[in-house]
Amino acid sequence: MRGVFASAVTAALTPLVTASSRPAPARSSGQSSHPASERAAAPRAHRPPESPAHRQDTEYPHATAYAQDLAFDEMYRGRRIIGFRTLAGRDADEWYVTVDGRPLHVMRRADGTWLTMVDHYRSYATPLEAARGAVDEMPPGSRLRDTGHGPWREEGHHGVHP
Amino acid sequence: MAYTRKDVSTLTPTERRRLVDALLEVKRRGEYDEFVRTHIAYYTSDGEAGLRTAHMAPSFLPWHRRFLLDLEGALRRVDPSVTVPYWDWTRNREATSVPWTDDLLGGTGRLSDRRVTSGPFAHSGGKWTLKVNVTDEAFLTRDLGRPHAPLELPTRTDLGQALDETVYDTPPWNSTSRDGFRNRLEGWGSGRGSASWRNHNRVHRWVGGSMMGGASVNDPVFWMVHAFVDLQWTRWQRLHPGARYLPAEAPGPGDSQHGRVVARHGKLPPWDVTPDELEDVSRTYQYV
Repeated sequence: MRGVFASAVTAALTPLVTASSRPAPARSSGQSSHPASERAAAPRAHRPPESPAHRQDTEYPHATAYAQDLAFDEMYRGRRIIGFRTLAGRDADEWYVTVDGRPLHVMRRADGTWLTMVDHYRSYATPLEAARGAVDEMPPGSRLRDTGHGPWREEGHHGVHP
Repeated sequence: MAYTRKDVSTLTPTERRRLVDALLEVKRRGEYDEFVRTHIAYYTSDGEAGLRTAHMAPSFLPWHRRFLLDLEGALRRVDPSVTVPYWDWTRNREATSVPWTDDLLGGTGRLSDRRVTSGPFAHSGGKWTLKVNVTDEAFLTRDLGRPHAPLELPTRTDLGQALDETVYDTPPWNSTSRDGFRNRLEGWGSGRGSASWRNHNRVHRWVGGSMMGGASVNDPVFWMVHAFVDLQWTRWQRLHPGARYLPAEAPGPGDSQHGRVVARHGKLPPWDVTPDELEDVSRTYQYV
């Protein structure tokens, strides 16, 4: 069972390696229906070393404990936007979104829409649209900074992000 | 004795120069970037847990009132004659007229990368490098009017729709509050089109560039926008005598907004002040 899951993870991550020079199709969420316990058991060694998921391992170790479901992976206006959604956390809607490998902090509005730190005074229907909206506002050649927010809500951060 | 805050279009050449020089000095001293940092830190969205202070909450107005006072204090430590002017966008609606002139804010960003290339806050001038930012470019950006997807500034009528509200704010005290002065002025709507973003939110988006994101304080127009927003609060109080900041009491444990909004007598982080204490500042400044 473990071997079957491991190969499914590898298959799911293969597009991240091979699609680096051509657009990858946007994927719908929920492509994996494995229960949380099996996802948590997936060995990290099976991730291709140069994939964004690997960089995620080394640059964003906090994220890899949660980011398991690839919801979108596309090229948009020359930038790579990737969104993982965790179904294993406390909250069904934890998202981990990156633009060219750097985390984009996405936030939820009470009406179910989404916004980002880049486009702060309006919201979008989905994290994917919010990510595209952020790319629309980023000057060519600029990259997201790590403002210390992190893409994850962490315990104890109530109202203030250090 | 109360000092005055003026319409930016009425500033004399000397007043403009002193304002710009004070801003550049506050920046040079390193104090300006602390304001950018604070504004980023105090953004909590209402679909998430945690206390909301600066946005999507009743304290949007007192928080920015105090924030503006802090910046004005920093300016006045450089030059006691300086006060923050307000930008009346219902009257000054062009991308090439005040305040977008080279003796004040400079103009819009260039087409290729929205970089501001004129005026005192252009990166090329050497005195306005962005140190705290959401993205890593070091230059101020603008996209006045969003020419690729044009947006109109809010009108006097739009402001009127906020000023006509008889109560300050309504449950659930967030970005979905349909009624109440605060959310009409802050400008969160439902729906997907650009019509959904009104008044304050719409102005941020009309300016574009740096003003679109969490680091919007990087553009000094931020203060002029918020001075005009603050002026509306003063106007609203005069139009509705006796109407107070709400909620008067903190939402109780059974309320979805428990612990997430600041009530009239609650402390407003990062300060010790309460919304009640910020409702009347007429002994500090007056708008003319």
